[in-house]
Amino acid sequence: MPSETVENCSSHDPLLDIDSSDSSSGVKSDEYLELQFRVFRLTFLLTIFSVGIAGFFWGIQAGASLFIGALSGIFYFRLLARGIGRLGTSSKIVGKVQLLVPVLLVLVSSRFPQLDLIPALLGFLLYKPALIIQFLSMP
Amino acid sequence: MDSITTAASVVAAGLAVGLGAIGPGIGQGSAAQGAVEGIARQPEAEGKIRGTLLLSFAFMESLTIYGLVVALVLLFANPFAG
Repeated sequence: MPSETVENCSSHDPLLDIDSSDSSSGVKSDEYLELQFRVFRLTFLLTIFSVGIAGFFWGIQAGASLFIGALSGIFYFRLLARGIGRLGTSSKIVGKVQLLVPVLLVLVSSRFPQLDLIPALLGFLLYKPALIIQFLSMP
Repeated sequence: MDSITTAASVVAAGLAVGLGAIGPGIGQGSAAQGAVEGIARQPEAEGKIRGTLLLSFAFMESLTIYGLVVALVLLFANPFAG
């Protein structure tokens, strides 16, 4: 019978076995999510450390600017990770929406006198040391 | 800000974004191509490939961001404005 033939094929051929490929894809995306969370955690720790130092040495305004920049850096990295997660499945290209985040950060910090531009930019780039640490700690 | 400084700032902003985006654009295209090919060949390594692609994209795109920030500073917070 044709239905039995299809059942046999799906149970033996891994390419046709939709259930097993879905579950293994879940494991892979778990690995990808775990990497993202490690980078987020490292960035957050670096943010707390550097905001404390900036607030202590250069005042609360520099600390607040650094904090807002770091939050926007985390948001940028989240958007980038989401774009790469969609690559090959629901999208053929990686979107450029995340580049709007530094644009908005510079515009906001140049418009509002409560924010300093240089600490905000340095805070935005705090995701890079986290990435370097993560890259060096990869097996 | 006099007109020469304004004109030079606008031209420099355009050059900073335009020239700064060429290299990362080419690199990101080839990296994405390699990653998609690698995922198609080895679907079991998808998580690792995507993770490496994420790290390399973040490093490459930061070069674009540097050019973007220089251009935005020249346009909106120009240090040469008198």
